[in-house]
Parts: sequence; C-alpha cells; structure tokens
Amino acid sequence: MSAVSDAPALAIRHLKKTFEEPAVDDLSLTIKSGEFYALLGPNGAGKTTTLRMVAGLLNADAGEIAICGIDTAKDPIAAKRVLAWVPDEPMIYDKLTPMEYLAFVAGLWSMDGEVARAKADQLIDVLGLSQKAHERCGGFSKGMRQKVALAGALIHEPKLIILDEPLTGLDAGSARQVKAVLRHLVSQGVTVIMTTHILEVAERMADRIGVIAKGRLLAEGTLEELRNTSGAHGATLEDIFLQLVEEQPDTAQGAPVDRHGAQLAGALA
Amino acid sequence: MIATANTATLSWFAAHEIRLAWRDWKMLMSGGRKLKDRAVLVGMALFVLGVHGIAWIALTPHLPIAAGTAPGKAMLAAISVSFVLTFTMMFSQALEQVTRAFYARDDLDLILSSPAPSRHLFAVRITAMAMTTALMSGLVVAPFVNVAAILDGAYWLAAYPVIIALAGVAAGAAVLTTLMLFRHVGAKRTRLIAQIAAAVVGASFLIGIQTAAILAYGSLSRFEFLKSEGALAQLPDAGSLLWVPAKAVMGMPAPFVLFSLASLAFFAAVVWRGSLAFREHVVAAMGVSEKRHRHVTRHGAFRARSTFGALLHKEWLLLARDPWLISQTLMQILYLVPPALLLWVSYGAKTNVQTILAPVLVMAAGQLAGALAWLAISGEDAPDLVATAPVRPAALIWAKVVSVLALIGAVALPFVLAIAFLSLHGAAVILIGVLAGAACAILIQLWFRAQAKRTNFRRRQVASRISTILEALASILCAGTAAVAAAGSWLAVVPAGLCLIVMGIAWLVSPRGN
Repeated sequence: MSAVSDAPALAIRHLKKTFEEPAVDDLSLTIKSGEFYALLGPNGAGKTTTLRMVAGLLNADAGEIAICGIDTAKDPIAAKRVLAWVPDEPMIYDKLTPMEYLAFVAGLWSMDGEVARAKADQLIDVLGLSQKAHERCGGFSKGMRQKVALAGALIHEPKLIILDEPLTGLDAGSARQVKAVLRHLVSQGVTVIMTTHILEVAERMADRIGVIAKGRLLAEGTLEELRNTSGAHGATLEDIFLQLVEEQPDTAQGAPVDRHGAQLAGALA
Repeated sequence: MIATANTATLSWFAAHEIRLAWRDWKMLMSGGRKLKDRAVLVGMALFVLGVHGIAWIALTPHLPIAAGTAPGKAMLAAISVSFVLTFTMMFSQALEQVTRAFYARDDLDLILSSPAPSRHLFAVRITAMAMTTALMSGLVVAPFVNVAAILDGAYWLAAYPVIIALAGVAAGAAVLTTLMLFRHVGAKRTRLIAQIAAAVVGASFLIGIQTAAILAYGSLSRFEFLKSEGALAQLPDAGSLLWVPAKAVMGMPAPFVLFSLASLAFFAAVVWRGSLAFREHVVAAMGVSEKRHRHVTRHGAFRARSTFGALLHKEWLLLARDPWLISQTLMQILYLVPPALLLWVSYGAKTNVQTILAPVLVMAAGQLAGALAWLAISGEDAPDLVATAPVRPAALIWAKVVSVLALIGAVALPFVLAIAFLSLHGAAVILIGVLAGAACAILIQLWFRAQAKRTNFRRRQVASRISTILEALASILCAGTAAVAAAGSWLAVVPAGLCLIVMGIAWLVSPRGN
C-alpha cells in the first residue's frame, strides 16, 4: 500500500495504553505533512509511550495510528518504510564504524547501493562525522553517537521522522548542527516530531506544540494559539507549559515551582 | 555518616569489596531475582552436599591407602596432575578477573578521582581475586578433600590451606602476566590476548594430557596414561622436588610448610608490586576505548543488499569483532583437538571412531550455538533500529538463525568430511546431530530471549537459570542420541525422545510458550 499524498503525516485516534496505570489515555492527534511538531510533557506524561506505539515498538491496547495514510496495524511494513525513529539513548553498534552502520541501515531499507553510498557521504559530511567515519563507534561521545543515529535515520529519506529528546547531552555546536539538519528537513517537506524538555527549542523551532500529561492531550497549537488558550498573553512557552501541567492534579510538576525552588535552595544551603 | 579520607583504609576497602562481591555472587546464584541471603546459602549448601555424593562414589575404590604405605609414583603423579589442572583452572579464572578489574569496573572513575589511596584498593582487589579463586575452586574440591579425610584420615585436610596458597599463586601469576602484557603489547592488545589466554589456559593442560594419551595409547583417558609403565618410568623418584605440591596436599609436614611459605611470599611480593603498577595500567586501559580502530569501509559495503543479506553481513561482522566470542570459540575448537587426534590415529584401524566423536562434536556444536545465538538474538545493540525497519519479524529472526547455523556448519564441516572417509553413516549421523544440537540451542534462545547489551554476554546464564539448564540438557541428549545412532543402535530413539520432551518443557515454561 502506498502512502496517500494528501493524508496527514500522522493521525492518531483514541489511542490507549495501560501498564500498571494508564500511560496513554484516549489520545487523538493529527500532524500535517511538512510540519515541525514538538510534543511536550512532564516526566511520565506518556510522550515516549505514544511515540513508541507510532514507531511500532509497542502495541496499543486500543485506537488507530496512520502514518501518511497507512494504517500501521494493517500494513506495518509499508508504514515503517516512510518512518524513522531516533530514540533518546542512541542505539548503535560499538563494533561498527559510522559508515558500516549506515551501510547496514541502507540494507535494512533495501536501498540502491550507489544511492546509499552517496547519501551516506553527504550525511557524514553535513553532521561533521568525516574525521570519525571509519572508526568504530565504541569510544564515541554521546553527541557523536546521537549524530550517527540521526544519520542512520535520515539515510533512507523518511517522510516522517520522530526524535525522542534528540538534543539531550549534545554540546552547543552539535545541538546547532542537529537543529539545522531538522530545519532543512522540514523545508524539504519532511515531517518532524520531537519530544524535548528544552522549551526554548520547542518555542523557536516548532510550527505547532502539543502538551500532554497523564496520557492526555492538554493543549495543542501554535505558540500564539497556546497563549490564547491559556489566557496568558505575552507569556513564554515555559509559563504556559507550567500553568497547564500545574492544573493537573497529582503530577510531580503540579507543585508550585516557586515552592520547589525554595525547598531546593534550602537543601543546598 | 559522611565518610572522610581517613576511612579509606585497607580494612574499609576490604569491607566495601566483600559487600560488592557478596551481592555479585548472590545475583549470580539467584539469576537476578530477589532472594534472601539465607536462601542463597541453603542453595550453596545443597550444591556442596551433592558434590560430596559424587566425591564419595569417585574416591571409595581408591581410599584408604594401606597404613604405613608411602605414596607411590603413580599416586603422586595422579595428585600432581589434578593439582596442575586445578592451577590452570584457577589461573584462567584469575586472569579473567584481572582483565575485568582493569577494563570493566564501573567504579574506577570514582575511586581514582577521590583522595583515597588507590593503592589500598588495588591491594585489596588483588587479594579479593585470590580469595574468590580459592572459594570457587574450593566449592568443587572441598567435598573431595572432606571425603578423603573421612575415608583415609584427617591429614588430607591440609589440602585446604594448599588450595588457598595455590589460589594466591594463581592470582599472583595472573597479575604478573597482565602487567607483562601491558608492558610488551600495550593496553589495547592486552585485553584481547588476556581474554583468549584465560579461555585457552584452562583447557590447555587437560588437552595436552589427553593428546599425549591418544598419541601413546590411542585412548582419551589421562589416568590410563599415568598408570602406564612407560609413563611411570619417565617420572622422577618419589624424593624429587617435583612432588612437593602433591606431598603438601597429602599433609606431609615439610613439603606443606615449604609450599605454603613460598606461595605466601610470592603472593605478598605481587600484591606489593602489583598494587603500585595497577593504577598506572588502569589509567592506560581506560583510554583504550578512545583509541582509534580504523576500518576503511569498502565500496562493497554499500552494494545493494537484500534485507536478509544486510542482516547476515552485520551479524557476521559483529561476531568476528567480539573478543569474548573469539576466545570462547577458540576454546571450543581446542576441546575438539583431542577427538580430532583420535580420529587421525584411528585411520586404518577398525575402531568405531564416530561413536566416540559424535557426542563430542554434537555437544560442542550445541554449546557454541547457544553462545552465538544469544549474541545474535538477545544481544542486539540496536533493537529499536531493527524493529522499526520495514522487515517482517520472522525475516529478522530467520536471518539471525541462519547466521548462527552457517558458522556452526563451517566449524563442524571439516570434521564431518574427515569422518565421511571412515564411515558415511557416521558422518551423516554427526552432521544431523550437530544441526539438531545447534537447532535446539537456538530454539531455546529464541523462546527465552530477553533484550540485553552484548557486553552482558558473560552473564547470559544469569538471565534465566531454567533456560541454561534446559539448553545443557538438550545438548547432552542430542550428543547421547548421536553417540547411540553412530553405533548403529535403534536405541537412539530413547535419548531423542527425551530430547523432544525437554524441548517441549522448554516451550511450555518459556515466556513465548506462556
């Protein structure tokens, strides 16, 4: 089954997943093609669980997921062909070099050899990996590993790329490189979904932002739409985010921030 | 209480190490489950009791020695061989521990960056290695010593301090070997060489004795060889210094004191010198992963491959670059040397050599397949990547299974072809047996698979005790089936049927079966 061209990049309907308690609770979400979408939420909000279900790494208890119009339950292989997933902890092979890793990923996606080689050279260059392209990944820093994983995600030219906390642990230079690559992807019509705890990044980069807590979507829209929803005109995303999650009962982040700050300061004094 | 630098004394480090060692040991015994200390101790006691039973059966025909009889050359030789075997096992174990202490201890960053004298820690750590080695060997040897003491007299209890002294010598020798390797081949190569040496040394002496026995008498039994007149004639008189360790084991006062003091002096010297050199080498070892490992990727790496081909290529590349696997495979192949020699000396003779070789080869294939299958199936370092690839899960698994079977086939094929010259029936039985043994091990690994890092290979048995036991049982039964079938008996259906039952049980108790 081929991807439907005018279909949204991701459509989630009434998604549910329960472990010991509900992790994702009747979540519905639509993300258009070519959109940069930031999914925000406190720890344990259900962001990663949701995205792992989209990537086919977890089975949903209920609900539907369609990637570029392809129902992931009916045709998972076709859905995976247009998707790339970059987990928060980069999973690469210590005993392979970045080039060997990319050759392996290209093989998994059955790419043409010459096309893959050219694309690998380009990605290695753009991500600043040229000096390390033929060294085993075993001794790489977190940032280097993250870049190798990102190159692996991009080599097969996905239509939808999902990144779970892609900037955590990166130095300023690497973070800038990754952000530039993501912006370029969006300008090329690729849809990017990213979770992050760095709210400034979401504020500056995302076309639309979704805030979830306890597995439910609390608010969604552009920064301006979120300001209107919260009634806090001129507020930063951090203000809006904290206001939204503090309204949720029983969340760790629900406690007033100022009180947390005072407690921490007292403990350190 | 907040610890200060003053607390970092030898005894403080020793208490820290003992606590860690006990928890490590408990985890090993409990398979990672939460067990009370008492339960672990009861389990260990039952194991030791079981070995006492085996020791009783093994020693009753030989003990007691008639009163007033001086031990003869044959007995001294038998004890000496067991002594050297124990030493090689201890040395192998200690070498592996030293390598781990240099390369794989997560707390080294903390300790080396603290104001505590690291020399104290390394002195304690070397001593802990000797104690662990003594304990591990002691658990197996102690029942034999106890039974010998019951059957023949309390003087056999002198073997206990001798075991401790021997463990000290083994740990000391392992530390010296590692330090020497550091000096001569560098931090990077030391790890690989030490790991391979640890695997090979443990097996080498046994294999050497078996090889001598085969070449001289066409038999695998080392004791037959030692009892032979030809071998005894070559050995020195009972008064020779060569027999000091054997006499020390038997509790003779002068040899006992000489051996214990010499061992203690050697161990103390190594601890003194080794704890000084340890820090410098640990720092060198810590930088190894940062060193460059260049592999210029050939253009062929990007040639259009099927998904199956890409997976196969990746599995073989990773297996070929795994030092643990290389050492384990080398050990398995070393254990095949005596049967291979037996095969060679049997050419032209009318012995039914395939009956002897079939179980050895099938057993080795099962063990090797289990290790390879764990690395390929459970030890996937990028599970998210392969799970999100547009490939059917069955195709992924099939590629991993084929990669393992192909390697097993490559190791077994030369033996099968050689046997085919003697007996086509034997070759066919061994080939089927090897594939069946490997298939059983792979299936059990599939049914019990639990995602883990490849670096956890050493602890693969810990993840599931039941799967380890079932894998070993299936392997033994496949080997038994092959032996009986190679002898041409229809009774082979009995172990084959039992193997099927074991596999059925494995499926039923596995997470997949549930």
